[in-house]
Amino acid sequence: MAEAPHHVIIGNSIAGIEAAITLRRRDRAAKITLISWEHAHPFARVSLMYMFCGQLSLKDTQFYPEDLYDRMRFARVLDRVTGVDPVARSVTLLSGAAIRYDTLLLAVGSTARRLPWPGAYDEPHFLHHFVTLPDLRALDAAAKKGMSVAVIGGGLIGVEAAEVLHLRGLKTHFLIREPSYFPVALDVAESEVVARHIRSHGVDCRTDNPVDGFLRRGGRIVLRGSDEIEVDLVVGAIGVVPATGFLAGSGIALNAETGGVETGDNLESTSAPGVFAAGDCAQVTWPDGSRRPEQIWYTSRDQGRAAAAAMVGDDVKYRRGTWYNSAKFFNVEYTTAGYIPPALPGPASAGQPPGEGWQTWYQQVPGRAETQRIVSRGGIVKGFNALGRRWDHQVWMRWVQERRPLQWVLEHMKEAGFDEEFTEPFRVLPTATLTEGA
Amino acid sequence: MQEGLLSTYHEPLRNRNLTAWACSAILVAFYVDLYFFDHLEPVARALHLPSKWTLYGLLYTIAMCVGGYFMLQKHGNSRYHTLRTASLIAVQSLLGFLLPLALDFTGRPAYYFSYFFPLKYDILFPGTLKDMPVAVALWFIFGSFVGVPLLVYFKGKRAYCSWICGCGGLAETFGDPWRHLSSRSDRAWRVEQASVHTVLALVFVMFGLVVGDAYAADGSALREVAEHTRSFYSFAVGAVFSGVIGVGLYPLMGTRVWCRFGCPMAALLGLVQKFGRFRISVKKDMCISCGNCSTYCEMGIDVRAYAMANLPIKRASCVGCGMCAHVCPRGVLRLETRADPGPQGSIDVWTVDL
Repeated sequence: MAEAPHHVIIGNSIAGIEAAITLRRRDRAAKITLISWEHAHPFARVSLMYMFCGQLSLKDTQFYPEDLYDRMRFARVLDRVTGVDPVARSVTLLSGAAIRYDTLLLAVGSTARRLPWPGAYDEPHFLHHFVTLPDLRALDAAAKKGMSVAVIGGGLIGVEAAEVLHLRGLKTHFLIREPSYFPVALDVAESEVVARHIRSHGVDCRTDNPVDGFLRRGGRIVLRGSDEIEVDLVVGAIGVVPATGFLAGSGIALNAETGGVETGDNLESTSAPGVFAAGDCAQVTWPDGSRRPEQIWYTSRDQGRAAAAAMVGDDVKYRRGTWYNSAKFFNVEYTTAGYIPPALPGPASAGQPPGEGWQTWYQQVPGRAETQRIVSRGGIVKGFNALGRRWDHQVWMRWVQERRPLQWVLEHMKEAGFDEEFTEPFRVLPTATLTEGA
Repeated sequence: MQEGLLSTYHEPLRNRNLTAWACSAILVAFYVDLYFFDHLEPVARALHLPSKWTLYGLLYTIAMCVGGYFMLQKHGNSRYHTLRTASLIAVQSLLGFLLPLALDFTGRPAYYFSYFFPLKYDILFPGTLKDMPVAVALWFIFGSFVGVPLLVYFKGKRAYCSWICGCGGLAETFGDPWRHLSSRSDRAWRVEQASVHTVLALVFVMFGLVVGDAYAADGSALREVAEHTRSFYSFAVGAVFSGVIGVGLYPLMGTRVWCRFGCPMAALLGLVQKFGRFRISVKKDMCISCGNCSTYCEMGIDVRAYAMANLPIKRASCVGCGMCAHVCPRGVLRLETRADPGPQGSIDVWTVDL
C-alpha cells in the first residue's frame, strides 16, 4: 500500500484553510501540514479594523473553532518559510528544518505595497501599514489620541484605516492620489458621495493629492506633495503585493510585474509541477483576459478550494465567474455585481468590450449617501453598483443571467432589497438619469 | 446597518474586569435582598409606594429607559431597533408598571397583562383564575395558548422575546453592553439545551401537580407534594434563576442568561419557532467571516458558521433581536417571515455574457 500523500500548505488564511478542509474531505488518510508565521488559527483579515477600534477581539475573528486542526488532523507548523526547492520537493524553514511534500500550496497572501519615498523605511517609527497582525500591533502601540496621521491611498484598506484611526481620536488626513476615491469601482458621482460622507465625519479627505516624499521638521513628519501636511504617523495603504519574495530563485516562476505566482488554469505553477498557488499570491486570468492576482476574500476562498481539488488530481479549471463584491466606507455599505465599469467603454477603448448601445441608469437619494447605478447594453442589464442600502447580489446576478431589460429590473428592484425590516423602501426617483454610453 | 463602530473591548466594565465583577456582585446582592429580605420595604414606603415590588418595578423601568437610551445611541439609526426598543419600554412602563400600580392604588389585584404562562406560571393556577374577572382570565388563557404561539408562528419568537417581554426588555436595554459575553462554546450550548428544557419540564410537572391538587379531595396526599414542588420552583427558578443569576450575572456571562438557560417560555416558543416562518436568510457567498454577528449574538449562536456555509438560520433559541444583521458590515443577514422564501439564488459559476 502506497504511503499517504503529504500536502503542505504555506499560509493559513482563507485560501490556505479552505484548501486544507477541502483536501481533508477528499482524502481522509492524507497528511496535511499548514505552515504559518502570523497566527496559530485562521482569522479574518478584514477584521483588522474591528480589532483596532475594539469592536472585536482577535479570538472573535477566528472563523473556525479552535479545535479545527485537531478534528481535521492538520499538522501545525508555526514558522517562516525561507525557501522552496521544487525539484527536491521540500521547503526550508527559518528554524532550519526542512519539510518534504508531495504537493505544495502557496497561499502566502500579500504584504503592504511599500511607499516609494526615499529613506522612508530607514526610520520605521512613523511609517505603518495595515495588512498583517504585526502591522496592527505596531500601529496599535503607536497611535495615541490627539496625534495626527496621514493615510496614503484611496482604496479599501485606506478607508478602513482612516475610519478606525479617526475613531481612536487621531486627527486623520486621508490623502488620495487619484482625482476621485476608489476609481477602480466607483464612478465620479459615487466617489463624490463617499468622499463627502467621509468628510462629514471630520476626516480630512483630499483627492487629487499625491504625496511624493517627506521631510523631518522637529519631531514631526512633513509630507511633500501638492499640499504640505504635518503629521505624527503615516499609514501607507497604496495596495498590496504578493508575499512571494522568498521564492525568488527557487525555480517557481513569478510574474515580473506583480510578483504573483504564475499559474495555469488549474492553479498549478507553470514552472514547478506539484506546486500550486491560491489567494492573493496567485497570478490568475481575469474575465477580461488580463493576468494578475485577485486580492479579494471571496475569490481567495474559491481559489483555495479549487487548488485543493487540483492537488488531489481533479481536472480543475479555475474560473472566477461573475464579478461581485462588497465593502463598507464608514457607514455606507457598498454592493456590486455583474459588469459595471467605473466609466462605460467608448467606441474603441482597449481591453473593454467594444460596441454600441451602452446605457447608464443612475440615481442619488437627496440628503443621503445612497446611490444606485445600473449599466445596460441594448436595454439588457449587465451590472449594478449601489451605495448606502443593502442588496442581494445573487438576485442581481440572476437578472443579468436572465438578460432582464432595464425597465423590468427597475420595476422589480425591491425584490433584490436586503435591508433591515422597516427601512424606508427603495424608490425610483424622478431625478434618476439615463445616459448613453460613457 | 450599523452606524459607527463599537469600542467594546476598550471598555473595562464590559470585559469581566474588577469593575464588572463588582457590578455583578451589586446586582446579585440587590436581588438576594429583594427576594429574601425586607430592607427595601421602608424605602418603598418612604416613596409612598405600596410595596418593595412596586419599587422594584420602578427601578426596573428606569433601568430599561436609561439602558434603552444608550442602546439607541449606538443602534438607533435602524428603525427595527428603534421600534422594538420603543415597544419594549412602552410595554414595561404601561403594562409592567403603571397599570399594575393604578390597579393596586384602586384596591384591585395588580395584573401584569404582558406576561403569560409558563413564564408567569401562577397566572393560570385554578386558585388564581377563579378570583379573576372573566375577561382577564380569558386574556391570560388565550394569550398563553393561542395569541402568543400564533404570533410566534408567524413572526418568530422575537415578537414576544424582543418586542414585548419585560425580561427580554431588560436584557436588550440595560444588558446591551454585555451582549458579546455570551459563550459560543459547544459546551454552553449543551448546558443550555439541558437546562432550559429541564425548567420547561419542571414547570409543567409543578403546574400539573397544583391543578391536580385543586381538583383532588381535601387533604389528599397530592397537597403536600404540590406545595413543595411549587415552593421549590418559586425559590429555585422564580427567584434564584430568573433574578439573582439571570440578571446578576449580566456583566460576566452576557445578557439573556435567564432567557437562554432558564426561561420555560423561551423554550416553549422556541419549539413553535422551529416550525414557524421566522428565519434569518443568508446572502450567498458574501460573508467575509469577520465575526461581528457571532460576537454580538446574545444567545451565543455561532451565526457566522451559518453565513459562511450559506445556510439560513432557524434556531429555537434565537430571540430575533436582529443585532447580527445590524452589525454585519456586508449586509449578509436578514430576518425574514415571508411564507414564500422567494428565489434563493443558488446558481453555479457562470460569467456575464456581454
